[in-house]
Parts: sequence; structure tokens; C-alpha cells
Amino acid sequence: MLEPMMYIGGAYKHSQLIELVEDLGGYILQKNIMQSEVVLLMLVPINDLAMVEKKSKDLLGKLTRAPLTGSEIATVAPTLAYHHLPHLDCDVAEFLRKQGAKTNMVGLARGVGKRICQLTAFERDLINEHDVAVFILGNYEHCIIEKSKKLYEGIEIPIVVTGAPELKTEDVPNATAYVGSFGRILHHMRHSEELKTLDKLSEVIGKVLDDVRIGLAKDPPSVAPPRIKKEIEEQIPEIVDNLHPLPITLQMNGVRVKLPYKEYYEQMENIKFVEGVTLKEVARIMPSKMRDFILIKALPKSETGFVI
Amino acid sequence: MEQLETFIVESPDATGAKTTRSLIQDTIADLSLSRAIGRLKVFVDPVQPVFIFAALLRMGSPSIKLKDFAKVEMGALGKDEVRIEVDREIHVVKLLNKLWDKYGKENIEQPDRKIIVVKTDPLKDLDMLRDLVIEEPHQEVLDRLIDAIALRIIPEGFRVRKHELTNSYVLFIASEDTLKPEWLAKGKEILASLGSEENA
Repeated sequence: MLEPMMYIGGAYKHSQLIELVEDLGGYILQKNIMQSEVVLLMLVPINDLAMVEKKSKDLLGKLTRAPLTGSEIATVAPTLAYHHLPHLDCDVAEFLRKQGAKTNMVGLARGVGKRICQLTAFERDLINEHDVAVFILGNYEHCIIEKSKKLYEGIEIPIVVTGAPELKTEDVPNATAYVGSFGRILHHMRHSEELKTLDKLSEVIGKVLDDVRIGLAKDPPSVAPPRIKKEIEEQIPEIVDNLHPLPITLQMNGVRVKLPYKEYYEQMENIKFVEGVTLKEVARIMPSKMRDFILIKALPKSETGFVI
Repeated sequence: MEQLETFIVESPDATGAKTTRSLIQDTIADLSLSRAIGRLKVFVDPVQPVFIFAALLRMGSPSIKLKDFAKVEMGALGKDEVRIEVDREIHVVKLLNKLWDKYGKENIEQPDRKIIVVKTDPLKDLDMLRDLVIEEPHQEVLDRLIDAIALRIIPEGFRVRKHELTNSYVLFIASEDTLKPEWLAKGKEILASLGSEENA
């Protein structure tokens, strides 16, 4: 079992920590160096966590659990109009990104209104490619409840809903979790109460993702997504020159690779692991709904019969 | 932000009313409309659904003409030109843009910071130039007001709308469904109540 962790500390000697995590069989997912400070998002084997904690203490850094690490979250707004952007939606997306998640913003074409709202098939499929969908709704209790009855049709991933009233999750139909005190806010969220609300949102999403992890652990993927990422980085050199943000985006049970599907899917299928299997034996390689990217979903153990 | 005389948001949903109030405040501040709106009353019922926005306006400054801030005279003797001597430089940019559009850049000279020479027949154009409208704060405020109400405040789903816009008041009624006569009547009523408060 790997634990998602975030390390914030000085750039000096941080490579020692990276080496330690890699030696322990963990993965470095992201490394951001900002002047003399470094932020590392990593997956650490839970049994060896004490060693990493000791090392980070020696380096005078801060090690915290970041449950959003390694997940791809869709923040969905009813439209891309001024009603929702740039504030609130961007605030939410940015805040979750700071916590280690990769967020994609989705603006629906016909998401407005409580009676007339719709989700197109393309939007539904696109949202379903993520780990969690955060629907950012408005001010009125009645509208949120009415809208929730039909807007999330066909979405199979957990749905987190935000809005102004303080509702119980069970009052909001089809939602996995509900977070109040948001609503339609037209200013940058920077007051202490608003930041607390954002904290609460990331905590709720963290819990939802932990539940997903527990569910996955019952029938684990045949290959861990960070392992796929590492092998792609080593075997497909073009990924190094890729200018997309996070060219290989981790998900709970797969990765999104930002390379054109047609040109690269054969190379992807033939990625070799030292255990002697190729990627196509342990994962499904599909075209993604997002541009012409590649979506790789690891097969569960129950299908392949082994875990590498 | 200058406080509005009246600012009421009514709704059966108390939390919704509070958030709507804050979003209207944000929008008014963003578009600096606080001086243009005197009294403001909003009624929202998400169940029906209807959104009524009524406001009394205080339209301040009239439009600014060239003669208000500049001396417009005939140019040098024997030449076809008009000489404009500007007192307040704040309007010069807009004035130049208007003149360039009208006469072309080659016909405008600016020998000094405050002096502009236009190559044109002074007998024909002098009076017209004196009355040239440089700025219409009035119209700009109305544009911003419509931007605020129609594009930012009224919930997006409320696509069926009816509005009345004059120099003294604005009334917007919006809904997701066909507008009902009683909502229109309620809108009028709210507007009338705002007006009567003013008399009191």
C-alpha cells in the first residue's frame, strides 16, 4: 500500500529524499522547485513511512499527507459564463491543485437552469474519465436539489456538489458528498472563512478518494499507475519533450498520456515490464475524449489473475 | 463603496438571499455602479421560479461636449483650419480618437500639448465641432448597468426575460418558464414601493 505524501522544504539536499523514496519502492510524482523551496508529491510505501519522516525532519522540511495526490479531478461549472468564472471555479480548481490533484475545468454547454439543464453524451464520457467530479452549483436549495435529480445522469464516478445552503448529503439526490457555504461567489475567495470552506472541500474530496482507494484495494489493479508512468517515461523518449502540463497524468487506476493516440498506441501496448509482461496484458489502452490523448486504465487482478 | 439608500433582497430562501445580496454587492463594486443606483430591491423565488430586479437610478453628469472644455476658433488667417485649445487634458485622448476617425490622421496636427489643429473648412465645421459630444457618461453607465444585471446578476438559467429601462428606473423580470402576469404586476408593485419611499 502506497501513501500519498507532500514534502515542502528547502531545495538543498532534497535529492537525498528523492533517492530514499525511490530506493524504498515509492514514486516521485511531481517536483516543483520555486526559488530555494521545493515541493514534492510522492507515493511512499506505508511500512517505510517512518524512514521518510525521519529524513524529512533531518532536512528541516515538512511532510504531510496529501490524499488528493495522484488523482485527476473534474471541476464542472454549468457554463463558462461570467456567472461562474473566473472566481469560485478557478479558486476551487487552483486550491485542489495546490493539494496535489490534477484538476480539469469542464464548462457544460447546456448546464443552466433547474428544468432545462442537460448533460451531453460527450460531456458525460469526458467527466467519467476522471476520478471525482466536483459540480459547482449556486445559491438556492430548491434549485440544487431539483438540478441534482437529472444533471448527473450517467456519471459513474463519485460526485461532490458545492452550493450555498448547508444541506445534508442525503438531501442532495445522486451526490456522493455535498459541501455548503459556497454558492455563486463573484469575488476571489481569500477571507479566512472562505479558505476554511475550501479546506473543508479538499477534506471531503480526500475522504471520497480514500473510499475509492479502499474499493480499489479489494480488487487491486494488476499494475500500479505510477509504475505505468515510470515505464512510459523510460521507454518512450518523446514524452520528455512534451509541453503539456503533466504529460503523464496519474489517476486512481490508470494514467492519461498526452500524446496522440493514433501514432503512439502501438508503442504503448508494447511497453515491457521486467516481470516479462507487456502493458496491453495488464491495462486497456483507449483513445481519450480529451483531445487526441491516450487513456490507460489498469485491469483489475480479477481479470488478469496477477499483480506485478 | 458608497452605500445605497435602499438595498433589499427578498426570498423565501434565506441563505440564498444572503448570497445573492453579496453577489450583487460584488457586481456593483466591480462595475462601479454604486453612484448610479439609488434604491434597489430584488425578489427571488426559486420555486416558482422568478427573479425580479428593480432599481431607481440617479443619472448624474450630462454628456460632455467639446465646447465644455475647449476653445474652438478659426485657425490662422487664410488657411482652412480650426484651432482647438483644450483646457482640461483629461478628454484629449477621446477627442483625438474622434477627430482621427472623422478627418483622418493626416488632417490633424498637434503642435502643442493643449493645441489641436484640424484641417477643414472652418465656416462649415466650426459649430458642428463645438457641439461634438466627446463623452457620454450617461450611456456608459447604462451599458454597465445592463452588463451587471443581465449578464452577471440574474441566474443564467432564467432565460425568459422582460425589462424596462428608462433614465430614472430599471426593472428586470426573469424566469426559466413563461412569464406570468402576476410576476409582471409584482415587478410594478416593487418599483412603485421604491418610488413611494422616495416621496416619504
